[in-house]
Amino acid sequence: MLFPYVQGFPPKDTCYLYSHMNRILTLVATEARIELRERYAISGIVLYVLSSAFIVFSIWRQLPPKEWGLTFWVIFLFCSLMAVLKSFGRESEGRYFYYYTLYHPLELFVAKVVYNLILLLFIFLVLWFVLYVMAGNHIIRMGWFLTTGIMACTGLSFLLTLITSIAIKTQQNASLTSVMALPLMIPLLINILRLTAYASGTTPDENPWNEMMLLSSIISLVIGMSLWLFPYLWRS
Amino acid sequence: MMRESTTTTLFRLEAWKWTAMAILIYVFIVGWIVPLKPGIIKVSPDRAVAGEQVVIDVTGYNSAFASDSTQLRAWLSLAGDTVLSALHVQAWDDRHLSASFYIPSVFPVRQEAYPLTLILDHGIEGSSVLPNAIFITPASVQDTSELPLWYKDKIEHIHQKAGMQYPFRNILAETIRNTYFHVPMWFCMIILFGASAWYSLKYYKKGDIDADRRSVAFIKVGLIFGLGLVTGMLWAKNTWNAYWSWDVKQNMSAICLLIYAALMVMRSSVEDEMQKARLTAGYNMFAFVLLIPLLFIIPRMTDSLHPGNGGNPALGGEDLDNTMRMVFYPAVIGFILLGLWISQLVYRTDKLKGNL
Repeated sequence: MLFPYVQGFPPKDTCYLYSHMNRILTLVATEARIELRERYAISGIVLYVLSSAFIVFSIWRQLPPKEWGLTFWVIFLFCSLMAVLKSFGRESEGRYFYYYTLYHPLELFVAKVVYNLILLLFIFLVLWFVLYVMAGNHIIRMGWFLTTGIMACTGLSFLLTLITSIAIKTQQNASLTSVMALPLMIPLLINILRLTAYASGTTPDENPWNEMMLLSSIISLVIGMSLWLFPYLWRS
Repeated sequence: MMRESTTTTLFRLEAWKWTAMAILIYVFIVGWIVPLKPGIIKVSPDRAVAGEQVVIDVTGYNSAFASDSTQLRAWLSLAGDTVLSALHVQAWDDRHLSASFYIPSVFPVRQEAYPLTLILDHGIEGSSVLPNAIFITPASVQDTSELPLWYKDKIEHIHQKAGMQYPFRNILAETIRNTYFHVPMWFCMIILFGASAWYSLKYYKKGDIDADRRSVAFIKVGLIFGLGLVTGMLWAKNTWNAYWSWDVKQNMSAICLLIYAALMVMRSSVEDEMQKARLTAGYNMFAFVLLIPLLFIIPRMTDSLHPGNGGNPALGGEDLDNTMRMVFYPAVIGFILLGLWISQLVYRTDKLKGNL
């Protein structure tokens, strides 16, 4: 059989979960190897973070706690858009066709999401460090901020991977990704900003669990919808 | 073709289009011409000192003070049972009157400021109320023997004007009629986007290009009904004093329109028909699911000026009384039918264009 995974999923293997995990990890490792081979890729992201933080900081001069959180997430948003778009745009049409014959779309999608998640977490930590050095740390509740960051990275990596996979099928993919993804990110972003305000103690709200519940339910909506829709959108 | 069954015959008669037209004509006529109940729009002076007699000039709206002015009564009320009756009421013309009150120098409660509510009652024209009509500054010399004055009078025998009128609300005034146009437009938009998502699901299941055409027609018309944002902005200018006050409901609605506009942009940049239809279906369903928290959950968790959010009641209380319901519910049905009708026409023209 030439295309073993297109016809039936999951395949009738004895321990298919394990084998899928392996295949996904292989894909992620391949992605990472390609990324690291071109050294400007990672350093490009770091430079992007640095220069945008620098621009914002030279405009604000000093960052009070509230503006610190806003600045953080605005920079993070644009960095993540650029990074995810780049990780997709790098690949040629031919390689996608090759992947398509080898892997089930979900394996490809999960691999992409995991890779982008690592990328976003990297951006998150770098940005935190940069703003920490430049503008001081205004986060009182570190655990809450870290949890928020991890959840934001998860939700955004699913959302951005799906939207980018739609956008690369069109003719002007770079601008369309932001046009399509930015309004969809806003429900996530609103909750993230509220949780950040809680983490930096700039809100009188003392019960962030409501926001946490809402954020996790939106993220699970995003995950469910994108896992359902990606295999459908992917075939062409 | 199953054209023979009775329901399709009925629909071929297109009774529902005539119904929609009739309902909308009714809504436009009745919505515009039925008058408001009388109200109070201005009181001067709006400040007074306790322990003195004060004469206030009242400007009414839709009122008829001069007709049989002996029936006019006026009260100032601090709370439910602390009421001052007017010493004398004099009507100048239908819209102006003067009323004199004696404000006691002591108050039954201790507050920073004492806002008093003005209540007018007329035997035929009915009653009208202006909350916080006049603010009283405490007197320098307080005479505790005047305390019983607050409990002497009661508001009794309030009249209701007969006939069909919309309630007079102090900030809304005539703009209350926008309830019949602004709110049903949003209902219609949500229904159209829902229908569009439904046809996208159909396309997802069957791969029928016709379902895609229908779903896009619904989005196009839904975006036009998104002009409810403009009616909302005009309303906001009159009541909140700014077209755009960054209220959460305004923001979320604008974002909702942005999402669907992005979908149309995305469609226009794909050449292949099947590819276009598939991407539209996928993005449409994804966007509609994300719209639910955006439009219905997040606004309810934040403070908002808009009714229905952050502890603000929607479609209830005195903002929508039984008279208004007689126009509001038909308006909702009429606008939804109109939306479906236009979408049908858009779908047909698209289909004809595609076949050329």
